[in-house]
Amino acid sequence: MSSKELRQRAKELAKEHGYLQYMIERYLSLWGEENTIRFIEACEQPVRTAIRVNTLKTSVSSVLHRLQAKGVILDEVPWLNNCFYADFKDSSPGALLEHMLGFYYVQGVPSMTAVSVLDPQPDEIVLDLAAAPGGKTTHIAQLLENTGMVMAIEQDRQRMTSLQSNIIRCGATNTVVIRGDARKLDDLPFKPDKILLDAPCSGEGLIPLDPTRKTSKSMADIRFCATREDEMLESAVNVLSEGGSMVYSTCSIAPEENEYIVDGILKQHPEIEVVEIPTKFGTPGYSEPYGVRLSESLTLTRRFLPHLHGTEGFFICKLRKKEAVSE
Amino acid sequence: MKIELVNPMDWSSVTEQIDIEFGAGTTRNLLGDRAPIFMTKGGSRIFYAVPKDWITELMNASETLDIQFLGKELGSLDKGRFRLSLQIFSEIAEMTESFIIVSQLGAEAFTYGRSIIRESVLELNQSLVRGQRVLVLSENRECLGIATLSVDAAKVTRLRADKLVAKNLVDVGWFIRRLG
Repeated sequence: MSSKELRQRAKELAKEHGYLQYMIERYLSLWGEENTIRFIEACEQPVRTAIRVNTLKTSVSSVLHRLQAKGVILDEVPWLNNCFYADFKDSSPGALLEHMLGFYYVQGVPSMTAVSVLDPQPDEIVLDLAAAPGGKTTHIAQLLENTGMVMAIEQDRQRMTSLQSNIIRCGATNTVVIRGDARKLDDLPFKPDKILLDAPCSGEGLIPLDPTRKTSKSMADIRFCATREDEMLESAVNVLSEGGSMVYSTCSIAPEENEYIVDGILKQHPEIEVVEIPTKFGTPGYSEPYGVRLSESLTLTRRFLPHLHGTEGFFICKLRKKEAVSE
Repeated sequence: MKIELVNPMDWSSVTEQIDIEFGAGTTRNLLGDRAPIFMTKGGSRIFYAVPKDWITELMNASETLDIQFLGKELGSLDKGRFRLSLQIFSEIAEMTESFIIVSQLGAEAFTYGRSIIRESVLELNQSLVRGQRVLVLSENRECLGIATLSVDAAKVTRLRADKLVAKNLVDVGWFIRRLG
């Protein structure tokens, strides 16, 4: 398809499905027409609700038994421990007593996957950037078995409330919550072994959850987010311990916020490398989006896409900071 | 917020208030091998139990960083009165005799912010007296919150079914009401 044809087709599809034209142009370039249409159709389908059983407070068998008794249909997420797709029928997932007691957390499958990929181990110090509302913070605390430390950084005062509430509800007792800018990490009291940066992004992957996203963000918004993501990732890799690992993720499908950002960091920081994610989920990230050649190692990153995986769009990259070789 | 070590006088006031209502040694058991610290928010002092090896670094860091929460929140001291944090209710429930067990219907009403009436009461230690704070437990012994007894436990059986037994102070439904 020539550029002129692509623009024309994008214009038609955008008009037909209520998207901004620039978005469809990018999808056509990335995936071709057939997959773009599949993506658009998939974005009209609801995303399955999922929960994580909070083993800091209860056992998986107990929660399954109690929820099933209330008519909730549960289905294991194959690649995740303690995580289930949950059909609550007419109940609100947040209104059940088991939720109030902190027995489970309602969370997107990609978000749970990001923490699983980080793989926190007991006694480690883990930094969680842009932490609110606390799904990932409490998940990390759970995997640390309430040992070590989760340093949770959040800038937004309003969102800080939900972060602290969820920490209390889930019984996480190993967290330190700091209000601050995730781009300014120089004064941190502890050197993190692991970092999770689920960066604030343009949310282009959230169209199945929020249809207004079809028209709410311009290309300038994506560029703005990309600049901030770049600064946050730069800051994170600087404070990461040598030999430490981190996960960079976004709920955006835009390569400009994902592969481009990681590629930029790899160029600036030879001590940082993309590492393979052993768990099987999603599809590989792009090493040549829109024909722009990036690091081949970006194919080790993973993407969730609505039309391929039935989830919101999401990007997950695991990075490692090599240990310095002593002279 | 600035992290400060706990003044022994303040700490003895906190310990006394917790132990009088929930049994001698409750505060010590809650702390375990952690140490108490506090931060001042508004007019209240919020107390936390933190691993001892965190303290020096975090106290120094709190000079420059805006630390909002850490470790296990014990509660807040305001005008001499200590209010327990929701975070430690379930732990205290395993250590104390100061509790009231309520029916499923009573439990549901309690998590919607309602108080406890006589017909909801399944079990209550007879030695508890009016004005005392008690943990509210479900039939499965899950801690739903805390309430103040409106009547001596020994007199509860004499009450009519719809009469108030314990006034809701805070319950786990707060999580939903707070977050919407």
